[in-house]
Amino acid sequence: MSVDQTTAEQQPQVAGRPPSPACARRCATAVGTPSDERRKMRQFLFTGFNAFGQHNSNNTVGRTSGRVTALTEIHVPGNENDNNIIIAISWRYTVYAKGIKIWLIGLLDSMPGECLELEAPMAIKALAACDTHCLVLLQNGELYKLPVKLDAKLQQIKLETPPNPPATATKRTIFGTAKASNGVSTVITHIACGSHINVAISAGNTVYSIPSCLHQFPQLQWRLKQLECGQEHALLLNANGDVYTWGNGLRGQLGQETLGVEETPQLVDALAGIKITHIAAGGWHSAAISAFGDLYTWGLNSNGQLGMRVMKPDGLLKEPTVYPLPQLHDLSACCGTSDDDVDLCAPVKVFAGSRHTVLVRSCGRLWASGWSAHGQLGIQVNSQYLDAFQAIYDECRDSEYSVICGPWSTLLVLSK
Amino acid sequence: MVTVKASLLELTKLLPHFVDIEETLENEVEARYVLKRAADHFEKLQLDSSKEMEEDEEEVSYLVQALVDKNWERIHSGHFSCVSLTIRKIYALGCYFKIFFLLLEKSSLEQHEQCSTILDEAQLLGCTDNLYVKCNELQAALMKYLDVDAPKMSPTPLPVLDAVQRRVSRCDIPQLDAPSIIEFRASCYDALQPTLLLNTINHWPALRKWRDLNYLLKVAGNRTVPIEIGSNYASDEWSQQLVKIRDFLYRQFGEGNQTVNLDIEYLAQHELFAQIPALRADICVPDYCSVSADNTSTVDIKAWLGPKNTISPMHTDPKHNLLCQVFGSKRIILAAPKDTENLYAHETEFLGNTSQIDAANLDFESFPLLRRVQFYELLLQPGDCLYLPPKWWHYVRSDTPSFSVSFWFE
Repeated sequence: MSVDQTTAEQQPQVAGRPPSPACARRCATAVGTPSDERRKMRQFLFTGFNAFGQHNSNNTVGRTSGRVTALTEIHVPGNENDNNIIIAISWRYTVYAKGIKIWLIGLLDSMPGECLELEAPMAIKALAACDTHCLVLLQNGELYKLPVKLDAKLQQIKLETPPNPPATATKRTIFGTAKASNGVSTVITHIACGSHINVAISAGNTVYSIPSCLHQFPQLQWRLKQLECGQEHALLLNANGDVYTWGNGLRGQLGQETLGVEETPQLVDALAGIKITHIAAGGWHSAAISAFGDLYTWGLNSNGQLGMRVMKPDGLLKEPTVYPLPQLHDLSACCGTSDDDVDLCAPVKVFAGSRHTVLVRSCGRLWASGWSAHGQLGIQVNSQYLDAFQAIYDECRDSEYSVICGPWSTLLVLSK
Repeated sequence: MVTVKASLLELTKLLPHFVDIEETLENEVEARYVLKRAADHFEKLQLDSSKEMEEDEEEVSYLVQALVDKNWERIHSGHFSCVSLTIRKIYALGCYFKIFFLLLEKSSLEQHEQCSTILDEAQLLGCTDNLYVKCNELQAALMKYLDVDAPKMSPTPLPVLDAVQRRVSRCDIPQLDAPSIIEFRASCYDALQPTLLLNTINHWPALRKWRDLNYLLKVAGNRTVPIEIGSNYASDEWSQQLVKIRDFLYRQFGEGNQTVNLDIEYLAQHELFAQIPALRADICVPDYCSVSADNTSTVDIKAWLGPKNTISPMHTDPKHNLLCQVFGSKRIILAAPKDTENLYAHETEFLGNTSQIDAANLDFESFPLLRRVQFYELLLQPGDCLYLPPKWWHYVRSDTPSFSVSFWFE
C-alpha cells in the first residue's frame, strides 16, 4: 500500500481544523508498509497529561484518554518513517517539527485537539515551548517566535548585537550571519524557555535573555553542551563539566546557598570540583549527573521530585520543601544483586518535568521520582507522588532511546 | 448512579454561570475552556441529574483538577506579591468546582475534610473577593455544609489554660494606664516612643473566652492556616506549611503531648480574623490605630498563637504596631532605630529586616558592636498592649502558651 506523499504535501496549510481521519491516514504511514532498512523505525511511548488532545491526534482507533497512566504508544504528525522529528511539550499543547514543517497541537484558542500546521523558511534545528509561545531555531541560526494561537505566524526575533570591537570587514558565516570580529560565531546554537525565562546561546558563548545580550563568557574557553530551562531558571553545562545557573532562585533551584535572583550565569560552586556530564531543569528544581555516575538534585521538593522524603517520619508534618544546595543521592541497586553490580547501573541521563524527575541508568532501565497525579511516572502510586527514586520502566532496555519530559508527562522516543 | 443529594444540588445553584465569570477570565484560554465546561455541567445537572451526566462528570472533573493544579503552579512562580489577581481568581473558581465534583463523588467524613481544606486554600492562595455576585453566599454555605461533621474529628477535649497571674516585672520603657488618644498621640505616636499601655483591652471578649481552647477548636478547628515550623524563622530548619487548626492545637496544646519530641509550631503573622468572623467579633481595633490625621489607610490585624518558647528573632517592621496580649506572657527585648548599624542585619533580600544576633544570649565576641547598643526589656502580660514605632528592633519569646493580636497601622 503506497502512501500518497505528494498529495499530503500539497495539502493547504489548514489552521484550525483538527486533522480529520482522512487527513491523518494520508499523513501517517500505515503499519506494515515495507520501510527502507537504512532508516530506523521510531516508536513513541507517552504517559501523562493529555486532556487537550495534544498527543496522538493521528490516532484513528479511538479517543486517547485525558490522562495516560502507563507508557503507551502514540503516533506523531508527519511520516513516521522519517527520522529526526523534533518535539517540545508544553502544558496545553505540543509542538512538533520535521524538516521545514511545524505542527502545534492542543488547546490553542478554544477547543482541545486544535492543530496549526505551517512551514518555516528552512529546516528547523531546535524547538522550545512554554505556555504562551514556542521558540523555533532554524539550521541557519535564525530564531523565530510562534505564539500559541490558531492564526499564529512565525515572528523573526532580532537579537541584540553583542558588544564587540568593530572590525573593518565583517566576517560572515556561510549562512550570511555576522561573525564576531575575532572569528567566533554569533550563530545561535541552543535555545530553551520557561514561562518566565527565554534563553538563547550562540556558538561564541554569548548568552541572550531574548532578545537582549545577557552575558558574554570568555570566548573559545569552552564548548556548550546543554542548555535547559525550568519555569523561571536556566542551567547550562559545558564540555569542561561546569554547571552555571541563573534566573529566579527563590525555591533553591539555582544551587546557591542563599535564595534569590541571579541576573547572570553563576557557577554552581557546590559542584565546582566535579565533572558533570548531564543536567536537567524541572519546574522549580534541577538535577545533574557526574562522570562518576553520581546523581545530584536541588530546588523544590514539594512532590518528591528531588527524590527526597516529603513527610517527616511521624507523617504529620512535612520535611523542608526547599533544598538550596545539591543533594548527592545514594540510589538503590538496579539490576545486580551483589554489591559489584551497583556500579554497572550508574545514572547516565536525567530529565525533568514540572514536578517529576526521570533517570536513565546505564543498563537502560528508567527510574523516576516525583509527582504522579497526572500519570507522568507511568506507574500506579497510592500517594500521588514518589519521594525516592525507583524503577518505573524496563521494556526499553534493549533499545536506543531518548526521553522528553513535558511539564506533566514523559515521552520515550525509541529507535528500533 | 445514586441521585444527587438534594442539599448538595441546592448548593450547586450558588455556583457561577459562565457569563458571571467570563470577564474575569480575560484571555486565559485554559480557564475559559475548563470553567465553561464546569459551569455548563452543573447547570445541566440541576435540570437532569441522571446517568448520562456520569461520563461527562469524569472528564470535566479531571479538567477542573488539572486547572487547579496548573494555577497552583502559576501562583508558586516568582514572588507571591507579583502573581496576577486573575490567576488567583481562576484558582479560587477552580477550587469551588473541584469541591463540588469531590462531593458528587463521595460523601464521607474524609472527603468533607479534604473539601474544607480546599475551601481554605481557595481563600489563602486564591482570591475570593468579588468573584461573582453569589460568591460570599457560596463560601458561607459551603463552610457550613462541610463543618457539620467537624466536631466528630475532635473527640478529646483540649485543656482550658490557666490564667497567668499578673506579676510586677522589669520594664525598661514608659508605662501608661489607659491613656486618651490625645495623650497617646503626644507621648507615643509623635514621640516615636515605645510604651507599655495598661488596661486598654480589658473589654475584649477574647480575654475571657480564648483560654478555653475548646472554644477555639469549635469556631476555628476546621480551618486551614499557614504555620511556621521550627523556633527561629532565620534558621535553616525553618519551614512553613498549611495545616488544620485542630491538628495544630492538639499537637501543641493537647494533654500528654509534652513528653513527645515535637517540633515547635507557631501560628504567626496570619490574618486569622479575616478568615474567621467569629473570632473577629471577640476583639476590637484599638482607637489608637486611628490616631493619624489621614484615616484612609487600613489596619492589618494578625494573630500570633503558639506554645511556650516560640521565638521571633530581633527584627523591625515598617509600620506602627500595637501588640496586644490575650493570654500567656511574652518576654520582649527592644533596641532603637539609631542602633541599627550595630545590630548586624542579614544581608539577604528576605532577611534584611532581621538581625543575626540572639538577643537573649548576647555574643559580644562574634558581634562586638553590640556593646554600643542600649537594649530595653519588658514582660508583656494578658491585657497589656505594647506600642512599637516603625523600625524599632524587637525580639519576642513566649514564656508560656500564648496568644497575641497585632495591629499594624500608619
